[in-house]
Amino acid sequence: MDAQRAELCALEAEVAVLRRACDELPVPWSETSRIQKLFQEIHPSDSAGGESSEDLRSRVGRLESELAFLNTVTGISIRNYSKQTEDLTSTEVTEKNIKKVVQKYRLSGNCHMVTFQLEFQILEIQDNESLSSVITDLNIIMEPTEYPELSEFICRAEERRDLFLFFRSLHFFVEWYEYRERTFKHFKEKYPDTVQLPEGACSRCMSICSASRPGFELVIVWRIQIDEEGKVSPKLDLLTQVPQRALKLDKSRVVETAPLSFRSLLRVLGIEAALESLIRLLRAENH
Amino acid sequence: MLMTRTHLLRFSFFCRMGVLAHLERLEAQVTESRTKSAERQRARAEGRALGARIQKLRRLRDELRAEVQWRRASVKASTASVQPDQTAGMSEQDVLERRWEHAKAMLQAYRFTGLSGRLTSHGVCVRISTAFEEHLLESYFVDLVIQKPLRILRHSVPVFIPLEKMAAQHLQSDIRHFLFSLCEHLNAYAGRKFQADRLQGDFAAFLTGPLRRNALCSLLSFTYRVDSGAQSVTFSARLLYEDLTVTLPTRVTVACEGTEALSCSWEHQRASHETLFSTKPLHQVFASFARKGEKLDMSLIS
Repeated sequence: MDAQRAELCALEAEVAVLRRACDELPVPWSETSRIQKLFQEIHPSDSAGGESSEDLRSRVGRLESELAFLNTVTGISIRNYSKQTEDLTSTEVTEKNIKKVVQKYRLSGNCHMVTFQLEFQILEIQDNESLSSVITDLNIIMEPTEYPELSEFICRAEERRDLFLFFRSLHFFVEWYEYRERTFKHFKEKYPDTVQLPEGACSRCMSICSASRPGFELVIVWRIQIDEEGKVSPKLDLLTQVPQRALKLDKSRVVETAPLSFRSLLRVLGIEAALESLIRLLRAENH
Repeated sequence: MLMTRTHLLRFSFFCRMGVLAHLERLEAQVTESRTKSAERQRARAEGRALGARIQKLRRLRDELRAEVQWRRASVKASTASVQPDQTAGMSEQDVLERRWEHAKAMLQAYRFTGLSGRLTSHGVCVRISTAFEEHLLESYFVDLVIQKPLRILRHSVPVFIPLEKMAAQHLQSDIRHFLFSLCEHLNAYAGRKFQADRLQGDFAAFLTGPLRRNALCSLLSFTYRVDSGAQSVTFSARLLYEDLTVTLPTRVTVACEGTEALSCSWEHQRASHETLFSTKPLHQVFASFARKGEKLDMSLIS
């Protein structure tokens, strides 16, 4: 009873603090309503004057709103950008009406928590019929230790010089990464005694222990894979740690087949429900 | 020993006292146990109520935590794009011009992410750029009207891309997801088209008939000839791209044209062609055929 009362007091205090914190922070706009708000800011319903009478200030305002919109929509924020043009057109080539230009670019920014720096070159060849643009060099500079799951993908993107694929897959990777973080955090907070995150907040694995049965541990490893085509998908595996004695008693080989059963569970219930049911299973043993 | 009356009286008195006392004790016990039981019940009920209240508070705390986190992250995200103030000592005009140049440059930069756009009088026109590996290809646009609900006014997306389906699923709830899905589909289509165009254009010499393809370039069928010394065999290939977000086929069948059975080495080639078409871009496979002349490039099969 005392323990409960103590917890009650602690919870009430925590809720009061959180309420105050909440009140101090502005309500974020949902993406759609933020876009609508941005749009209203630059096109107020009573705007007077046409395009020609716009002064520099309003033009700047509009461009910056466009940037804010792109930032919101792509999730990518660009900090630095530079461009250098080199004209490779030689006189001989000019006679045939072919123009060759090399453009060197430097781009840096971040997509949510992932920071990137890019250096690339584009060769543009213009002849009578068409204009072709080809990326002739691509360097992606990222801290290798920060997101090890990305390193193989980055090598591949550099090899193929596929700039757009880099950004597309990066976006989907970030989505999955944040989902994994949120999900693990949710379970850690819901079941603080049973669930542990060995690698901290951005853990790739979650372990479930049973207080009444020390020695039993379930570890869920959640990897984010990017395949050859740049498609991002989650891959979850279950590892079991069971004392020798218990293994000997396990006649129906439940422990051995657990990883496979977990895969089926995932397919049927989805990630969150599967993890929840595993945790509940181990906790039920306590009571 | 004879008991005197007094003794008897005293004895019975003490007996009665004993009995009374005993009875009193029993009564006290019952009362006590009743009280205790009632107390226990009250305690249990209180405990349950406490437990329920704790559960409720825990849920409330979780929700508040999530809300605070979300608000904090949103504040962080929206201030992240604000540039630090480096304009001390500059005239207002200069500051404005600097901001103008910077904004223009940043907008150009966004083109390289594959998604860019410009504001219009009714909303925003999003431009989706496509590429296949190092080749930059065509762009498409989607003109959105920013109202409740969001809707598509105009677009240049080909009719065989499931735009309406994607819009119905994602446009209102998650515009980012809608645009990136559309990006995936368009880039994959552009990539498949590029490969088919290159095959028809650069490697027509290998084809023994026309390249048959559907508009979406998700089904290709062609016949081609491979020479090996004096011999030459015609193969027919069928490439099916069931996943519309990728540029490699999901099902490949290569068969031998003609009635005679394939010799062992040709059968081996046929099988390896199937693998090649499944794992490498189409035009690169034919480029390897061309490079090695008559010999199959075994190093491509990895």
